[in-house]
Formats: sequence, C-alpha cells, structure tokens
Amino acid sequence: MSHVLAREGEERPLLRVGLRSQKSGTGVDEEGHGVKFRLQGLCLYYGKDKILEDIDLDILEHRITAVIGPSGCGKSSFLRCLNRMNDLVEGCRVEGRALLDGADIYHRDYDVTSLRRKVGMVFQKPNPFPKTVYENVAFGPRLYGIRDRDILDGIVEMSLRRAALWEEVRDKLRQPALALSGGQQQRLCIARVLAVEPEVVLLDEPCSALDPIATQRIEDLLAELKESYTIVIVTHNMQQAARVSDYTAFFMIKGQGDPGRLVEYGETGMIFTNPADERTERYITGRFG
Amino acid sequence: MGADRAATVSIWSAALAALAILLFIIGAILWNGLGTALSPSFVFGKPQAMREGGGIWPMVVSSVYLSVLTLALVIPLGVGAAVYMAEFARAGRLARLVRFGADSLSAVPSVVFGVFGMVVFVIYLGLGYSLLAGALTLTLLNLPTVARASEEAIRAVPQSYREAALSMGCTRWEMVKKVVLPVAQPGITTGAVLTVGRIVGESAAVIYTVGLFVRKVPWSPFAPAAPMAANIWHMYTEGALVPDWFRVASGEAAFLLLSVLALNMAARMLAAFLRRKMGYSA
Repeated sequence: MSHVLAREGEERPLLRVGLRSQKSGTGVDEEGHGVKFRLQGLCLYYGKDKILEDIDLDILEHRITAVIGPSGCGKSSFLRCLNRMNDLVEGCRVEGRALLDGADIYHRDYDVTSLRRKVGMVFQKPNPFPKTVYENVAFGPRLYGIRDRDILDGIVEMSLRRAALWEEVRDKLRQPALALSGGQQQRLCIARVLAVEPEVVLLDEPCSALDPIATQRIEDLLAELKESYTIVIVTHNMQQAARVSDYTAFFMIKGQGDPGRLVEYGETGMIFTNPADERTERYITGRFG
Repeated sequence: MGADRAATVSIWSAALAALAILLFIIGAILWNGLGTALSPSFVFGKPQAMREGGGIWPMVVSSVYLSVLTLALVIPLGVGAAVYMAEFARAGRLARLVRFGADSLSAVPSVVFGVFGMVVFVIYLGLGYSLLAGALTLTLLNLPTVARASEEAIRAVPQSYREAALSMGCTRWEMVKKVVLPVAQPGITTGAVLTVGRIVGESAAVIYTVGLFVRKVPWSPFAPAAPMAANIWHMYTEGALVPDWFRVASGEAAFLLLSVLALNMAARMLAAFLRRKMGYSA
C-alpha cells in the first residue's frame, strides 16, 4: 500500500511512498523517482506569527506535487519557502530543515540566487516584464552572462517551444509581452523560467486568472514538463490537483491565527478516492473550505 | 441650494481667474516679444552694447550648457537617492532623516541657494562666476524634486515585477538595474525634463553664481556665462547700455517661454512613447 498518512502527533517523516531509503536525498519511490526536496520539521514565522508548523514532506523529482487546502492555510507561503521568496517578508524566519538534493537551502553558506536559478517560480497573476516577448525569455540567460546572439535566439525558441507558445508568438518576438493574452502571458512566464534550465518549477495558482481554455493549455503543458522538471503546484482548484498531479499534499489550519499544518500527503489517486484523514475527505468532498 | 450655487460660482470664478492671469502673462510676453523671438538673426545673433540689433546666442548656449551640466550632476544623485529610499532603506531613522532633509531643502527660497553657491562655490572653492558653480548650485536646488519624482516613479513599479526578477535569481541590485529602473524610466525622464524647465527658468540662483551678460559663447564649464533668465533680469534692471534693451528682453522672454513649453510637450510625448514601447496602453 503506497499511501501516506500524516496526523498530528504521529511520528514523521510522513512520506512512505514505498521509500527504499530514508537517508536524506537518496529516497526513491516505486517507479524510481528520487527525492528532490526533503522538508524536516519546517516551521515558518512572520514576526511573531507562526504561519507553518512542523512540515515534513518529501517532494519527488520528475513528479507533479499539488498543494491544496483552504484559503489562508499557508500553501503559498509553503511554496515560497522552497525558493526562499519568503526572505522578502520582513521578520520572516524559518526553522527546521529544507534540503534540496541533500543540501540545506537555509544554511548560511547557501547562495540564494543559485537556489532561485535551480528553483523557478510562476506566479498567480501573469507577470511578464514590460519588455518584448524575446527580452522576457532572454532575461534569465542574459542574467547568467550569455551574450551570444545565436545562442540566445536558440534558447528563446527552445523555451517558447517547451512552453507550447512558439507557434503563437514566433512572429511577435519583438512585440511587447503585455500585448499577449493572459494565457499567453502565463505561458511566457513559464518559458522565462524554463530558459534558465531550472530543476524545479514552482507554480502558485498559475491558472486562477485564466479562462478554462487557457487553463487546459497550461495543464497539458505541465504533464509534458514533468518529464524534465520537478513540479510543485499550489491550487485552490481540487479538480485541477486531481487532473494534473501525481502526489497531493493537503494543508489546513485549525482556526484563525493558527499555523498551517500538513494533514495528509500521498499519491493523488489515493488522496482523492480514499483519504486517510476525515478532514481531507470533508475538504475534498466540498463540505468546508 | 442657493449656497451650493454660490459655492459653485465662486470656485468657477477662482479657476477662471487663475487661467485668465496665466493667459494674460503669456499673452503679454508673446505680444511684446514673439516677433523678435522668431527671428533667427536674434536667436543666433551676437549681443550688442551701445547699439541696437543685438542677439542672444551666447545666452541660449549658456542656458543649454547649464542645463546639461546640472542634469549630469543632479540625475545620478537624485535617482541614486531615490533608489536608496524606495528599494534599500528600511523604514528607519536614516530614511526619515533623508526625507526630512529633502523636504526642508525644497522649502528654501532659491535666492538663498544663490547666496550659498556664491559663498561656497564661487568664492571659497575659487570657481569664480562660472557654469560649473551655477550647475553645482542648481544641483542642490533641484535635488529634492528630482529625488522625490524619481522615488515616486520607482515606487509605482508593480511589486510583481520585483518578485519576478528576484525569483529569476537576480540580486537586489540586478533587479533595480534590469527591471525597476527601466520600468520607472518614463517617470524619471518626465521628472528630468521638468527639471530642465526649472533650470532654464531659474534666475535668482544663477545671478549670484554664473553671470548676467556675456558677449562670447561660453565653451568651458569654468567660463562665466549668462543664462537667459538672468540676462532678462539684467536687461530690465541694468540694461541702460543697450538702447533696445526692451526689445532684447522681451524677445528673450518669449523665446524662453516657447522653449519651456516645447520642452514640456516633448517630455510628455517621450514618456508616452516609452510607455507604449513597453506595452502599456497609455
């Protein structure tokens, strides 16, 4: 039974997806996917407020992990722990460990900019820069010192192809990105992230501002991208989580002012058909949240 | 109902009065000087003393030169201060102090800057009456407004662009350089052009630091010069040696007015063009 339960008070680590090894960074699931991110007792504070408590979670590489839960349960904050975007919040503090390929990303010597190069992020609202389509995709490669025009052209085309946008914008590369539709802008943001060859792509409710057709496009795209990348997606849309993800983590807060906790984590099929925790079941069947 | 009507009427007449005064001033200046200002032999001509028919070319060059020099000093300083205030300063004592200093500085009358510039730059630093002394003085005078306008332009850059830049692995400085400043550029440019208007229109601060009348075009920043505004004041008050001083002063005033108007319009068009290029609708 490759199912995971996580109840408060029980021992961690919670992911028991047939892991052959519990040693940091060497775990593998039944299909041979290794652990990309290992979170151990992760707590997040904004000043005195505790946002997340005691998160234990293994995120597997080349899989799509969905993070679901009611509003305010800390799922976006959790996502932002993984590329340290929370550092921007004044008074932010993290306890516990967050290991990427076995290295603690909150260690003093860990270089944040190199972390963010490995762990790209797509935001809720499409936020392409007010530059041309081309300049948006070339932004990251340029940042990392690529100046050669031919190489840049190649990266731009490949990234746009991977983001399933090339055919629509190949004649509009010199036009402002803000002239594209919302769905195109979001895929452009994905292309911008892919252009720096990240290992992990974090998506924070990437379809919440898009119409169903644009949403469908992004979901199809994610299924292709997981061959090459590890994907973590926060979504408030449970059908979306069920459709696109391999693993699902359900977060919840007890009440206003309480920190978010991981209630249950496991294979998406199991979470949605046979959840171990009744709170998960109630949330999924739409009885709260 | 009656009170409402009375209020409406008085507010309207106040607005109309303001507009009428403006139109009267502009009309008077153009009435007296437009013909002269549009003649190339006046704009590009040599100034004369003791006889009629002088031009204002050295004054035009003085004003342009002074503007360029001042901008070269005040833009880096002002934008730098603005970047610090908007992006790096925590809401601490230093930031409050800088802001308080800037606000106080902008409340000081320009003639005080003129006297300060004369004492410090002209006399103490030995620059003499020169474009450089004037540019330094005008830098101090315009620094608060340039910094404030730039800070507002920088703060208006959507937070989502900063997040995007940082999430791509930018350092804070790379974020500012590659995303924030380019996006804020139309606003900063508009502020800079409005500053040019204030520089060429400033008389009190340059009277004490640059000069009032020159015959030759000033080429060196250490040379004395005569910006148009100072020269106009000079012509009206001490222009007795120039027989057609009224024609020269009026023509120069009209030319200055038209230049500033053209400059402001160019600034608006440039900002709109830059914003369109970035893909914003307006």
